[in-house]
Amino acid sequence: MKPTFSTLVAGATLVLLGTGLAAGVAEAQKQGGVLKFYHRGTPPSGSIHEEATNSTVSPYMGVFNNLVMYDQSVATNSADTIVPDLATEWSWNDAGTELTFKLREGVTFHDGKPFTAKDVVCTWNLVLGTAKARLRKNPRKSWYKNLESVSANGDHEVTFTLKRRQPAFLSLLAGGYSPVYPCHVPPKKMRTHPIGTGPFKFVELKQNEHVKFTRNENYWKEGRPYLDGHEWTIIKSRSTRVLAFVAGKFDMTFNSDVTVPLLKDVKEQAPHVVCHKGPTNVSTNLIVNQDSPPFDNADIRKAMVLTIDRDAFIQILGHGETIKSGSLLPPPSGVWGMPPDVLNKVAGYNPDVAANREEARKIMEGLGYGPDNRLQVKVATRNIAIYRDPAVILIDHLKEIYVDGELETVETSNWHAKVARKDYQVGLNLTGIGVDDPDAMFYENYACGSQRNYTGYCKQEMMDLFEKQSMMDNGPERLELVWEIDKRLQEDAARPIIFNNVAATCWQPDVKGFTMMTNSVYNGWRLEDVWLDR
Amino acid sequence: MAAIDHRRELDRAGANVEGWWSGALHLARRYPLGAVGGAIVVVFVLAAIFADVVAPHDPLQTDAGRSLAPPDASMLFGADMMGRDMMSRIIHGARISLAVGIGSTLLGGCIGVVIGLMSGYLLGWFDLLTQRIIDIMQALPLLVMALVMAASLGPSLENTILAISIPLVPQVARVVRSNTLSLREMPFVEAARAGGMTEWRIAVRHVLPNTIAPLIVLATAQLGSAILTEASLSFLGLGVPEPYPSWGRMLSESAAEYVRVAPWLVIFPGIAISAAVFGTNLMGDALRDILDPRERS
Amino acid sequence: MSTYLIRRFLLMILTLVGMSIVIFVLLRLVPGNIADIMFDSAGFVDPAEKAIIEAELGLDQPIPVQYYDWIAGLLVGDLGFSYVSEMPAIDEIGPRIPITAKLAALSLFFSVLFGLPLGVISAVRQNTALDYVLRVVSLSGLSLPSFWLALLILMACVAWFGAIPIYTDTPESLWDELALYLLPSAAVGFRASALIMRLTRSSMLEVLRQDYIRTAKAKGAPDNSVNYVHALKNAVLPVTTIIGIEAAFLIGGLIITETVFNIPGVAHFLVEAILMRDYPIVQNLVMFIAIIVVVINFITDLAYAALDPRIKYAD
Repeated sequence: MKPTFSTLVAGATLVLLGTGLAAGVAEAQKQGGVLKFYHRGTPPSGSIHEEATNSTVSPYMGVFNNLVMYDQSVATNSADTIVPDLATEWSWNDAGTELTFKLREGVTFHDGKPFTAKDVVCTWNLVLGTAKARLRKNPRKSWYKNLESVSANGDHEVTFTLKRRQPAFLSLLAGGYSPVYPCHVPPKKMRTHPIGTGPFKFVELKQNEHVKFTRNENYWKEGRPYLDGHEWTIIKSRSTRVLAFVAGKFDMTFNSDVTVPLLKDVKEQAPHVVCHKGPTNVSTNLIVNQDSPPFDNADIRKAMVLTIDRDAFIQILGHGETIKSGSLLPPPSGVWGMPPDVLNKVAGYNPDVAANREEARKIMEGLGYGPDNRLQVKVATRNIAIYRDPAVILIDHLKEIYVDGELETVETSNWHAKVARKDYQVGLNLTGIGVDDPDAMFYENYACGSQRNYTGYCKQEMMDLFEKQSMMDNGPERLELVWEIDKRLQEDAARPIIFNNVAATCWQPDVKGFTMMTNSVYNGWRLEDVWLDR
Repeated sequence: MAAIDHRRELDRAGANVEGWWSGALHLARRYPLGAVGGAIVVVFVLAAIFADVVAPHDPLQTDAGRSLAPPDASMLFGADMMGRDMMSRIIHGARISLAVGIGSTLLGGCIGVVIGLMSGYLLGWFDLLTQRIIDIMQALPLLVMALVMAASLGPSLENTILAISIPLVPQVARVVRSNTLSLREMPFVEAARAGGMTEWRIAVRHVLPNTIAPLIVLATAQLGSAILTEASLSFLGLGVPEPYPSWGRMLSESAAEYVRVAPWLVIFPGIAISAAVFGTNLMGDALRDILDPRERS
Repeated sequence: MSTYLIRRFLLMILTLVGMSIVIFVLLRLVPGNIADIMFDSAGFVDPAEKAIIEAELGLDQPIPVQYYDWIAGLLVGDLGFSYVSEMPAIDEIGPRIPITAKLAALSLFFSVLFGLPLGVISAVRQNTALDYVLRVVSLSGLSLPSFWLALLILMACVAWFGAIPIYTDTPESLWDELALYLLPSAAVGFRASALIMRLTRSSMLEVLRQDYIRTAKAKGAPDNSVNYVHALKNAVLPVTTIIGIEAAFLIGGLIITETVFNIPGVAHFLVEAILMRDYPIVQNLVMFIAIIVVVINFITDLAYAALDPRIKYAD
């Protein structure tokens, strides 16, 4: 039952850092004011555990607390930046299979009921599907495959029992997607009027209009939050909302809403605004149906991977600024991705596109295709520009290797159902990752049986490798194994990554105390430290 | 009575002049606005037919180096987000607009004619039933009906045509029905009937030709409104899907997104839609003047 | 007259019943149902979970049963629950009606303000240069796609004022509120006034050709009084029917304009609900629109009958 070295170090540094910051700038922070955001569309619900979109997590994160969280003032999330939240301290047993949290006392939910260990148990039972109450949707079930049970030891201590060692388990609890729900509020109420312990109370959601939050006067953290509340006006048209921000109608844009081409315009129009441009850790990728011809043929999959000119995608869609990567985001923004020299050795990542395509054409010719015998495929994607645009470019690149792609746009309403039915050949897809840790990435997107493993990619040897890295402590060894796994995933065309997206979040200069995370857009929206200098 | 006048008017409009061409010139001088409209329509039809020849670039060819490139000598209307030539896309877009316009007019027109003839002839319960169905079809604004239809059938070129043709049906059916009702008692129809002609042949030989004039007016009006409705549906994301370059969709999403950075994405497709609709409307107005004598002073 | 009235009324009810069936069935043809859409934000579809949601929403019932439930609820004022927000549909739709009503009223005001007089002028000065200009302008009004017009207005706003109006439900002053509605209603009103102008012009021309107008002129009545007093009075009669056409036209314009200007009225809501397959919202809203259109047509028919004694009602 002793804390690991790194958590100790991290905890100590952060306490120092935190007190230092608090002492240094305490006088400057001002209380009050309502922070005005715009939002890109009506949040599907207020229940973070049921959604996998920052439409929900960004505005609603402040309603809740986690057990632990990524330090909101450190941009790059890692195991070393995890700080206490509702849990004041935590420790592992020697086998690394039991994680015990001591819980904060005297905390109440927004409806006045006290927070106890029971609430923690209820929350993870919901996620595990063992509770009586039922989540309609449970998108991160795969994260908790290794979680055996959660048990309360009295009112203020709780133990997570794992099936095997998993040091990264703590990281899974630290992101915006892992809030603690109250036991006494049914899931339906959580969707329409969520109750948490967090710094902001939910006020109302009007579809297509706004969602509003107000200060929790009884927040357990002394002096927080600084804001009286925050409001999100829903504007579906990106041009309208960005124009409104530029005109000063909003204090802050939606999470990562400003695309690279638009950012230039924003900076020209409003040079005074502060913009953070960085990766969103959302990758644009291909899903390839390995069960359906012709992509049951590994050679054709390889040829397809080879013809992709990632630089062209990056040039067009990100004006040269999106990031070439494998499934995991590379440093400096991320922690686990392959650095360029490793990445360039992965098949299809060789910068010499002409040579890659020559090789791809050879493969295709070997299979009997050629200028007069072209392969016809359908490229399916959602009928949304951010999906459709890369699909158009992909079709253009496929032409190079005797493949004629026909774009099949699928309505949002049908997309996931179609993918689940495996009713596609090649699809173009976006994958965002809640927590920058290989466990979250691999188990959610590449593990056998995961609901969000769209292609159904399932290999026992890879499962073994996932488990091997998952049991390792953080360090160079785990990192190298993760690189190796990522390389094999790319070469297998399990879900070839085209690029990692980059976008900007902007705010007016009088918005202070906000840190935009660099390796996950789903964390960093607690907003309790944000204040308005006016 | 009116229907017979239409015909005479048509003949008169082309009377005393030899040949089709001089007839057209004669009409153009009398109806200058209509001639302008006709010319615009001809330009669009030609663009649609010869899009492959006329368009300077492949409308689907992306170019990494020319993303959002402003208009220049090689791309007169600039390039879109994907580096595709806007001018070529607009020229090819004429095909979609025209296909939807003509397709929906023909479809709606044919259904309307059949329903109108049948209810005008059969009367009785069939007439009652179709009149109620027509009431229902007219109870919703065009765009609402088209939206619900497009959403329920799924977005595709065929479904867009179908959705847009629906509102034309009641209009055509009404005109055909009332003309049928008035014509069936006309002396020359009576005579044909006495001569042993079957009712259906009478309908096709006598009733329909006498209804052509108002149908042409309706059809031109439909052409313009179909182009507009298709654009609106596509703008709302329920029209003709990619990869077809539809004018309406060019104006939605990325165009609107980059309206400040690349205004050409918004200006040129908008002009194309407006000009095409304006042209058909001008032409339609003139046709109505020609075919409907009451409009003339 | 009263039998006519009763007959018309019964037909109106019949139409609405038919409409409700058409809408209900159409919506259930929809590829991609609400359960799929709900799963979209979770990034996957689980067939078992989907079936549970469908049962929860009553979507597993036979369509006639679902239809009966809807109509039975409708008759007692229960519109069901929005699938998306899980709130009562009446609470979602109700507060949005005044927003659209204000916009529609202002648009109607603009369209009549400009459309009617310009239509009269155009008719009186038929075939003059002024007539040609007005006709071209009105025709172009009908030819501009409303979303394009709205985009251009927004662009102009940014260019001139560096700002665009953003809807708020708590405007600080009446002036702020007016500013909010001004531009969108101008966009809708421009197109609508073009329609009114054209219809007014043609109905004016019709009247001007009537014998009694010629007689009045022959008797030496001054041109202006003939044109504007005699003729307009009679031309207004057919113009009342325009209001029926205008209502349907306005709703179409509002759908686009509310969407582009991000005004959270019912028209914008309808588009969103259609995209989300939120059946309870869509079917109730479409019925609401159908009722408005049908009732307005009913009233204009009656008004026409009451105003014009020449018209007999036998159908």
